[in-house]
Amino acid sequence: MKFSVIIDALPHLLGAAVTTVWISLLGVMLGQVIGVLVCVARQSGSRAADMAGGVYVSFFRGVPLLIQLLLIYYMLPLIGIDVPPLVAAIGALSLASGAYVSEIYRGALNGVPHGQSEAALALGFPAPTIWTRILLPQAFRISVPALVNELILLLKASSLISVVGVAELTRTSQTISASNYRPLEIYLAAGLIYLAINGALAAFGALVERRLQQG
Amino acid sequence: MKRAGDTTGRFGTLMRAALLGTAMLAAGAAGAMADTLADIKKAGTINVATEMQFPPFDFLENNEYKGVDRDLFDEVAKELGVKAKYIDLPWTSVLPGLEAKKFDLVIAPVTITKERMKRYAFTVPISEATAAMMKRADDKTINKPEDIAGKNVGGGKGTSQLAQVKEFGATLSPAPTVKEYVDSNQSYADLAAGRVDVSVNSLPNLAFAAAQRKETFAVVLPPFGKPSYFSWVGRPADDDKSLVEAVNAALVKIQKDGRLATIQKKWFGLSAELPTTVPEPQL
Amino acid sequence: MDLTLLVDYGPALLRGFGVTILCWAAGCAIGLALGFALMLLGRTGLKPLRWAVRAYIEVIRGTPFLIQLFLLYSGGPVIGLRLEATTAGILGLGVYGSAYFAEIFRAGYQAVPKGQVEAALSLGMPYGGILRRVILPGMLVSTLPAIVNMMAILTKETVVLSIITVPELMYEMQTMAAETFATFETILGMALFYWLLVEAVSRLGRRAEARVTRFLTHSSNARA
Repeated sequence: MKFSVIIDALPHLLGAAVTTVWISLLGVMLGQVIGVLVCVARQSGSRAADMAGGVYVSFFRGVPLLIQLLLIYYMLPLIGIDVPPLVAAIGALSLASGAYVSEIYRGALNGVPHGQSEAALALGFPAPTIWTRILLPQAFRISVPALVNELILLLKASSLISVVGVAELTRTSQTISASNYRPLEIYLAAGLIYLAINGALAAFGALVERRLQQG
Repeated sequence: MKRAGDTTGRFGTLMRAALLGTAMLAAGAAGAMADTLADIKKAGTINVATEMQFPPFDFLENNEYKGVDRDLFDEVAKELGVKAKYIDLPWTSVLPGLEAKKFDLVIAPVTITKERMKRYAFTVPISEATAAMMKRADDKTINKPEDIAGKNVGGGKGTSQLAQVKEFGATLSPAPTVKEYVDSNQSYADLAAGRVDVSVNSLPNLAFAAAQRKETFAVVLPPFGKPSYFSWVGRPADDDKSLVEAVNAALVKIQKDGRLATIQKKWFGLSAELPTTVPEPQL
Repeated sequence: MDLTLLVDYGPALLRGFGVTILCWAAGCAIGLALGFALMLLGRTGLKPLRWAVRAYIEVIRGTPFLIQLFLLYSGGPVIGLRLEATTAGILGLGVYGSAYFAEIFRAGYQAVPKGQVEAALSLGMPYGGILRRVILPGMLVSTLPAIVNMMAILTKETVVLSIITVPELMYEMQTMAAETFATFETILGMALFYWLLVEAVSRLGRRAEARVTRFLTHSSNARA
């Protein structure tokens, strides 16, 4: 172990960590929107919407993110659609995240007693109100730990966007260790940076969870 | 009814556009207009890609791209009269990117094989790739290639160096156990960790690695393999023929006027002559 | 595009697929068991134990699997821990999954209405019985989708094992790609195999979910 190599590499690693963070945050925010929409659409009672949502979830959950990125970035041009690297990266991350998020909400909705929406219907609440005032807030509260899990997973999965040429934290640590032949030191440093970022995210998640439990 | 009609109408337009597009593509492919080299010259820039994790050929030092391929291609671009733009990609996406025309040429050092020739065009050699071995510096039991009998050997998947060490190992008794790696850097890590006793790669790669970590690694001399070479990779299509030929002509010229020897001395410490035609694949 | 390649390399790919499934299944089993144990340990009254569990979860969740596996496999020998590749892969996968499973179980435990546990306690049920008859069934309903989700995620983390030479599907796919330079065939082949695996996991999960929910409706009807 030679720790001076970590100090030399640190500025590059931190710069790459910034890329990792902003792309993941954007991906997860878009993923939330997609996930909620897909979940609501699938429970709306329309069979076509349920099937379309099912195909979407099956594909984006089933095919590894690496392959999705390769498909979007390298196979779409073959049929005449050229996508810039950042768009491909953020697009793939948010589509994949949306698939997982919609499943998390579906599971959480199982945890909301049926009686509630039945009662609301009986009281004459319109469907959108039942969703926004009764079902989604509770589903959100139940799924906060799972959503934080998902955010952290996405942050780490974002290491795959290097296949479209975006150099983030994992890729940068590989590149550095390939030139100084010191993977142990560099990977350890990268691991600590990931840990710091995710520690902050987990602390934030715990705060939200506590807040919601009080409310 | 109106809606249904609308949809058909829109679908019809879409179909027509698609057909037109296909027709234009076909015309483009058949016409003499499409030529990658001409497009590059018109744009004034050639885009080339490699994985910058293969020192001393391709690597990043303080975010700057360096290595044999960089120096050599800088000269090639000068010969073509264009500027070079270098792209760093993980190996998984280097060849897909070439096919999707995200760039024009792959300047990663690659061994020509029969299987690979079916799909891609290769340039004349850019470097020697003779197979050699690297051991742990403190390992006193290995002093010549034959000493690997009965030991564990690591090497990169699909490389000619790995194929050669398998052939070489079969002549020894007991034969060594060969472990294949997706990533040659991981085979160095396993060498340091003691899971393998030697790593096989091209001599230039190993000499550079051993020089970087003298206390850990040492090269086993002499190299054991047959002479073999690295080339660059282009698309095999007709549009790209003129580009690959122009790059070949530039490489030959760079060797003749001594620029290649300068680059070789800078990175390998010695110079060696390279063939000026694309060699027959041995694998 | 030359899809006959997938046939030529078929036996190797199928063997790799088998290793992938084996590593995944063993990793999930270790992860679930370890995760459940961690959740219980995290609920004990002993503060240092709770902190240790918390730290373990945050460190494992907070770092990429690739980096953990590399440190376990290549860093391990530095401290005298020398594992064989497949063992390291399965163990690494299990440890990685356990942190996530522990969090899922924790959320599920909290979602079980306190009244049920109190009722069982007042009936004089021992803690083991409450765990088995009251808490576990309740947890299963709310956490099953998340567990299946996580198991689906772990199928794809197995691709990382190829780096430390575990001969799983990705490793065999890379062999095919390196020997033939057939890029799109490889991408399509990978898409197909992993989709099949995740689809199978999701379907089994959906079935299990239906069963668990049916059981619960049934018993609540009986109560009514």
